[in-house]
Amino acid sequence: MSISVLDALRPGKKPALLGLVLVFGLFVGAWVHGKYFSDRSPIQPIEFSHMIHATDNEIPCQHCHIYADRTPVAGVPSVSKCMGCHNSVPSVREHPEILKLVAYWEKREPIPWIKVHDLPDFVHFTHKRHIRAGLACQECHGPVETMNRITRVATMRMPWCVDCHTERNVEHGRDCWTCHK
Amino acid sequence: MSKISRRDLLQYIGAGGIGVVGGVLYGESVQQNVELLIPQVVPPEDYSPGVATWYNTVCNQCPAGCGISVRIREGKAKKIEGNPVHPVSQGRTCARGQAGLNALYNPDRIRTPLQNVGQRGSGNFEEISWDEALTTVGSRIGRLKIDNEASRVRLLCGRVRGHLDELFLQFMNLLGSDHYQQYDFTYPSALMAANKMSFGTDVLPYYDIRNAVFLLSFGADYLGTWISPVHHSLAYGHLRQGREGRRGKTIQIEPRMSLSGAAADEWIAARPGTEGLLALGIAHALVSEGHYHGSDRDEWSKALQAYSPSLVSAETDVSEDKILQLAREFGTSTASLAIAGGATAAGTNAVASIVAVNALNYLAGNLSQPGGIIFNPDPAFSATAGSRQAGFQGMLDLIGAMKAGDVDVLLVHDTNPVFALPDNVGFRQAMQNVPLIIALSSFRDETTEMADLILPTSTYLESWGDDVPDPGVGFPVASISQPVVATLYDTLPVGDIVLSLARQIGGELPIHMRWGTMEEFIKERWREEYDQRGSEGEEQEFEAFWQAALEAGVWGQPGAVAGDQPVPLSSSMIASIADPVSKFAGDESDYPFVLHPYLTATFLDGRGANLPWLQEMPDPMTSVVYGSWVELNPVTADELGIREGDVLDVESPAGSVRVPALIFPAIRPGVVAIPVGQGHAAYGRYARDRGVNPIHIVATLIDDQSGDLAWAATRVKLRATGERLQIIKTDGVTRTLGRQILGPENDHA
Repeated sequence: MSISVLDALRPGKKPALLGLVLVFGLFVGAWVHGKYFSDRSPIQPIEFSHMIHATDNEIPCQHCHIYADRTPVAGVPSVSKCMGCHNSVPSVREHPEILKLVAYWEKREPIPWIKVHDLPDFVHFTHKRHIRAGLACQECHGPVETMNRITRVATMRMPWCVDCHTERNVEHGRDCWTCHK
Repeated sequence: MSKISRRDLLQYIGAGGIGVVGGVLYGESVQQNVELLIPQVVPPEDYSPGVATWYNTVCNQCPAGCGISVRIREGKAKKIEGNPVHPVSQGRTCARGQAGLNALYNPDRIRTPLQNVGQRGSGNFEEISWDEALTTVGSRIGRLKIDNEASRVRLLCGRVRGHLDELFLQFMNLLGSDHYQQYDFTYPSALMAANKMSFGTDVLPYYDIRNAVFLLSFGADYLGTWISPVHHSLAYGHLRQGREGRRGKTIQIEPRMSLSGAAADEWIAARPGTEGLLALGIAHALVSEGHYHGSDRDEWSKALQAYSPSLVSAETDVSEDKILQLAREFGTSTASLAIAGGATAAGTNAVASIVAVNALNYLAGNLSQPGGIIFNPDPAFSATAGSRQAGFQGMLDLIGAMKAGDVDVLLVHDTNPVFALPDNVGFRQAMQNVPLIIALSSFRDETTEMADLILPTSTYLESWGDDVPDPGVGFPVASISQPVVATLYDTLPVGDIVLSLARQIGGELPIHMRWGTMEEFIKERWREEYDQRGSEGEEQEFEAFWQAALEAGVWGQPGAVAGDQPVPLSSSMIASIADPVSKFAGDESDYPFVLHPYLTATFLDGRGANLPWLQEMPDPMTSVVYGSWVELNPVTADELGIREGDVLDVESPAGSVRVPALIFPAIRPGVVAIPVGQGHAAYGRYARDRGVNPIHIVATLIDDQSGDLAWAATRVKLRATGERLQIIKTDGVTRTLGRQILGPENDHA
């Protein structure tokens, strides 16, 4: 007769399995949330693809994000900027997503993009310094040019900032007042 | 492998479902709030987000004419600082200047044209359109003009300078009315009149406090409120610490210690109203002690004969030794300077007192000397607007005309006579006789509230204009006022309203006043001025000059010749002084105390009371925040058995106010002081129903020579009402309470 612990566990087998299914469900739920409902990669009002713009059409980042090298904010392009190009791209004129853009423009309304990369108000961050230090956009924003929907790849939290400042030996990079002022 | 029963399957599905929902909820709970990234529809061309731009313009919070720089981000004004290249402010501002943002963003600003629909003064206004408002005013005035009755139109402004003054004047002239007046409570009428008598000048001179070594101030709170406080504060800093090894000395003579008194080496509380006499006593000592060496020494000593220090000492309650000491220091310091203002310039002897102070400066050789009185050249641009100052007499004339029914249309701009005149002159009541009152105003102050029609003006931060600072700085200076932000509401700059009215009225008005906007008008005038001065070696084109002037906010010619040498002061001026001591309204036995109203560094004459930052700023001397108070010397308070916070009825022959008592050691016994500025019945949520207005109970005595209101010449009596009110102040106790903080020998508990 073989000795098996399974038999001993038999009375607890079902609850354990139920628990396992529950935990598995939790992971599935968290994954689904992360994939479809997360602020890391929220569904935007217009299905804008950086892949089409930056890779297929080879538009440089700062063609649209015009303030990145001279102000604290990179600048989300104005609706008129979008229309400036799309007026002369008839091939996608009837695309449903482009029709949404045209609708915003005709109503003279801004597109309510959902912010993906956000820092708390007590952080004094400026794009200008980072761009001028020679950082590529992708260092923080990830391979944006390959993304159909924009997804945050970094935590955007303080340890992440400080690690990079330390690694690159940034002058005053670990001084509190550099970012909190 | 056993089969899973139906019941078990459902249980597993249930557990899995709960897990998935839990996972989604968990994900949701750790996620930050969604923020939106709102793009601009069409990007602005003149700014980059997050990058500040500084625009230079002119402060309008008091009449000093400081240049300011305003920090603009995303088209919004964020912060005001002094314009570093402006010779008046030199990069500094005062609290009032800082609070200019409160005027711009004030929630009580008038946002559209308003028409009174209820009883006059009831504050029942209805919004109307600009077209309707301008048509109403234009047709009414136009009809009067056609009927040759335009002289029944009157225009009353605050202190308006620069080309806006010219625009107003031109408007009224073309209309055919010569009733364009200005009224500003803080206008130094007595100083102007006295300087005209003494020196024959119509322009305020430059008081060179910066280079003085011994400064004798008769009541002038030059650090807080007197004519150009920011500039004087800078100058004071230099007087004290700007010269290696040579610290200037200041003496302040006033019954209640002001900020300047607190900063002085010595505070002398002469008997109120006798400051001019004290100046004559010092002048007597200057001559008799041999500090004056002019050829007319004998004449001076004769003219001053009656003012020997011993006699003056008895009248002024300042010891003879002190008078002689002051004379000695004043006479022997190279670069001494005497100035007069505040209550000294608001008695019935105001002009006489200032003439006496001018005589001191003459006798000590301070005229046209560094550290003395430097005479300004005529203003760089346009004639002096001071001639339009109505003064108290002019206001009485206006009230008379309104009562007699001689005024059909009254245009009021940027002045608040209902608040800043004693109650019993009846300005408000007289307004009831005017068929149409039009207010050009940004705020609904007491005077605006009486209007039938309000044409909302843009604030100074949204308007074009220019200014010649008064007093000047010894060389020609003019500043440009430019809009630093786009107009927030449906308001118009006052200059544009005048131009629109001119177009509306028609006739020759729009032919002569052909400018579309105030900007065009200002630019054209500056171009004319530039062409006239073209020979002075400035070789750039006008457009380049204009751009440079706009960027700098100011144009000036440092080193250019100062004004003409003044006529030497004659001793006969002293002989013409009938009574160097102020009279007071109210009999001393009935009204035992002298009322000392004083302008505050925050509200000035009340115009700052609608700005919350100024309301919450503690008074620099008493640390009281909000409300009004009456200051009593501890001796006076002890005699009357009054404690801090007792609500007193302060009654003058002209009226009474109820105000809590504050025990304040830096005031002469027998004098009670109430700050000016609070006590508004209107003027927005921050000003309304807060404190009392001492100007309202001032008796209408006038200065003998200038006819101006002697607002520091009223006696009052005090009566405890039995009520108590907690005075809000940031100070703790002002006593050591036996803690021996100052050492045992100085401990007076």
